[in-house]
Amino acid sequence: MSMKRKIELYGRLRDAGLGRAVSVDLPKSATARQALSALNTVFGKKSDLLRGCVLATGDEILSSSDELPSGPLAVLPPVCGG
Amino acid sequence: MTRVTKSRLDPAALCRAVSSPKHGAVASFIGTVRSTHAGRRVRAVTYDCFTPLARKELARIKTEAERRWPVHVGVEHRIGRLNVGQASVAIAAGSGHRAEAFAACRFVIEEIKRRVPVWKKEHYATGDGRWLAGCALHRPFKRSL
Repeated sequence: MSMKRKIELYGRLRDAGLGRAVSVDLPKSATARQALSALNTVFGKKSDLLRGCVLATGDEILSSSDELPSGPLAVLPPVCGG
Repeated sequence: MTRVTKSRLDPAALCRAVSSPKHGAVASFIGTVRSTHAGRRVRAVTYDCFTPLARKELARIKTEAERRWPVHVGVEHRIGRLNVGQASVAIAAGSGHRAEAFAACRFVIEEIKRRVPVWKKEHYATGDGRWLAGCALHRPFKRSL
């Protein structure tokens, strides 16, 4: 059984022409790795933009083997604040 | 005191917030938007941010600095579109002596650049723009994707 998950985009990912968020189909107990794989498909020829990105929940970075929690998800490129 | 805000920063207020009669030093660092980068004229910089995690990470960095040195730290990061010369980040550290105040300020800005989910897009005089490269985020002790 799969379900739609909304994933917010930040930084350079917002210039991919996909808006500020995308929806992906994922199995019910999908991991962060599976979500990133689905994002690669959505990004298609622009999937290079996902290099170095991580998935996060509201306030925590997920490791690749983590099962996706419920609630908002975001994909975060390498950071350069300050 | 930590804050992520769309409002103009007030470094003087931040310095006051970390001051104490017991302190002999207040050090501050203010990051500003510069007019050139890599040979290109910059008009403005847009700061994008994943706010919930940025707030949490700024608070963690402040706590780490205050555990490492006997300091009282305040830090603010501005987001949105900023013009040249405007302050994007302000850090203040109050302490008994200058060495730990300087060290804490340096620690906080370096950790911000490495850990806080903020991204910069430079807007050039030529009308185009570019997101700057950065550091990949990692969950502590676990691999990134």
